[in-house]
Amino acid sequence: MLHLERLKADIDTLSLMAAERQQQRESDTAKALRWLAEAPAPAELRARLAPLASGEQDWAGALPTTDMPLDARLVTVADPPPGAVLIAADGSQVYPDSHAAVPYYLLQIGGLAFHYDGSRPTPYSCESLHFRDDELYDAQGYLISNEQVGKQRLVREMAYLAELTVLERQLAPDAPLMVLTDGPLLWPYVERSRADFLALEAYLEALSAIRQAGGLPAGYVARPGGRTLVELLWASRLTSAEIPGRLAENPLRQLTDAALMAHFLQPGERSAWFSRPTATNQRQAGHGHEIWFCYVNVGDAHTPVIARLEVPRWGAADTDAITTLHAVLLHQAHVLNGYPYALARAHEEALVTTTDKAALDSEIQRRILEQGIVVRPSEKAQQKAYLGRR
Amino acid sequence: MADQDRTITIGNVLRADIRGFVVASRLPEPDVPTFGTFVRAPIQQGQADLIGLVYNITLQDDPFLKNLAVTVVEDDPRYTEIIRDQQENRAIPVEIAVVAVGYRDASGYHYGLPPQPPMILHRITVCRKDEVRDFTAVPDFLRTLLDNRDVPADELIPTALQRAARLRPEALREDFLLDAGRYLAHALGRDPVRLERILRRLI
Repeated sequence: MLHLERLKADIDTLSLMAAERQQQRESDTAKALRWLAEAPAPAELRARLAPLASGEQDWAGALPTTDMPLDARLVTVADPPPGAVLIAADGSQVYPDSHAAVPYYLLQIGGLAFHYDGSRPTPYSCESLHFRDDELYDAQGYLISNEQVGKQRLVREMAYLAELTVLERQLAPDAPLMVLTDGPLLWPYVERSRADFLALEAYLEALSAIRQAGGLPAGYVARPGGRTLVELLWASRLTSAEIPGRLAENPLRQLTDAALMAHFLQPGERSAWFSRPTATNQRQAGHGHEIWFCYVNVGDAHTPVIARLEVPRWGAADTDAITTLHAVLLHQAHVLNGYPYALARAHEEALVTTTDKAALDSEIQRRILEQGIVVRPSEKAQQKAYLGRR
Repeated sequence: MADQDRTITIGNVLRADIRGFVVASRLPEPDVPTFGTFVRAPIQQGQADLIGLVYNITLQDDPFLKNLAVTVVEDDPRYTEIIRDQQENRAIPVEIAVVAVGYRDASGYHYGLPPQPPMILHRITVCRKDEVRDFTAVPDFLRTLLDNRDVPADELIPTALQRAARLRPEALREDFLLDAGRYLAHALGRDPVRLERILRRLI
């Protein structure tokens, strides 16, 4: 039970801090918008920031990738072209639980192929149950972490998207085909082991398969965190001699890219392309899949909704494909007030509900019991289940 | 209406007692069973099947649709695919209430309350046509309904009888309904008003 009355003072402080931050953010935003308008040409910036481009420096900023000014705002007036296809996928999982009757983890990927031709969209889903020792335990014999399961899910999602891309390409050989995933396209994990290396390799192979099938992969990051663009703007105010020495002195501490873009982009507009010079992105570049990103405002005049859109460099270079993707995302997000419809439906197809999990646990226990073996959750898990029903 | 030629699993038991149970289901609209559908649920560790009739269907709150309802316009071509997805694909979260009318074990069909309710999370299936024909071969399954004041029995009985009649060759339908009518007349001999109400709905 939570004693709210004991937290009253903390809640008051929190709300006061939120108000102070809001005031600071507004002042920072005004400054950042000025810096954006005054930023040097991209070529000059890239030359100035060349020492950071290798990914070896610990810099959280982004680099401009084209010769488009940093304050470019791009619009698309067209509706999604007839015949275009959007494939969206999302995943969910049941994490391994050492207190469960039987340890396992489950991955389920849901998808939706949305054809702009008036036809019924096609829902897809697949699931996999992982219960073997080499899947569940690491080299030290510990149950694998939730992060490891997350990596496997990400690989499975991209591999499934590759399968669906091949399938949909057969159905529509000439259609623009966009392949959308919920989250970044840039691999978000740090490589710590051979298993991590293999996971990233498999992920990149799936990206290559999508490219080979003529699909344009895109990562849709809703309500993006991070301040890579704000860091770039600060770097744009420094001289070559001050880089990298003063990079850590960015005074715009309260400002995120999303907050800045909410003031900068009009509804329907997107920004120029940027790229993060991280070691992971360098590695992806080595496989032909360097990731570029832009921001897009999929909200309306009253409520800006900023998303970060990530695509491979080879996809960003295809202007027609990007224009189509832009139009498709605006249509998709308009339907659900700021979130792509196809992604929401993919999530729904992927979702493993508590009822689903209970049914799976029940079936596993029943089948094991048929083998004459009695298994049950730990006492702790049982007690938590009772309390959780309150 | 669900196609009773094939077996459709409609969901898991959410709560149950000896007189009936409620199923949580997520099915596309065409597969949602209708009022009066015959369903079965495993009981007694799978040694028997409870037979029941759907008597209530409750659509649960769906936040997804709330968002869509604000923007989507039915005749606007920009939303054609979305409307088709919602109507033809999307699983609708529903609760389906079922009243028990009998059960089947190794020795055949029995009419009345089952010895045990189905256990929570057991899967519920729409009965096949042949199962409905066999179960309704005698009108005794109506007895439990007549005695049950918690379900809309006077609506449910004619619906179930008409459904069972349609599964028989046309030449046999009238006899089937006459048999059922005689059974009801006997059972409701002291309640002619109720009898008339049910029979009028049966015609």
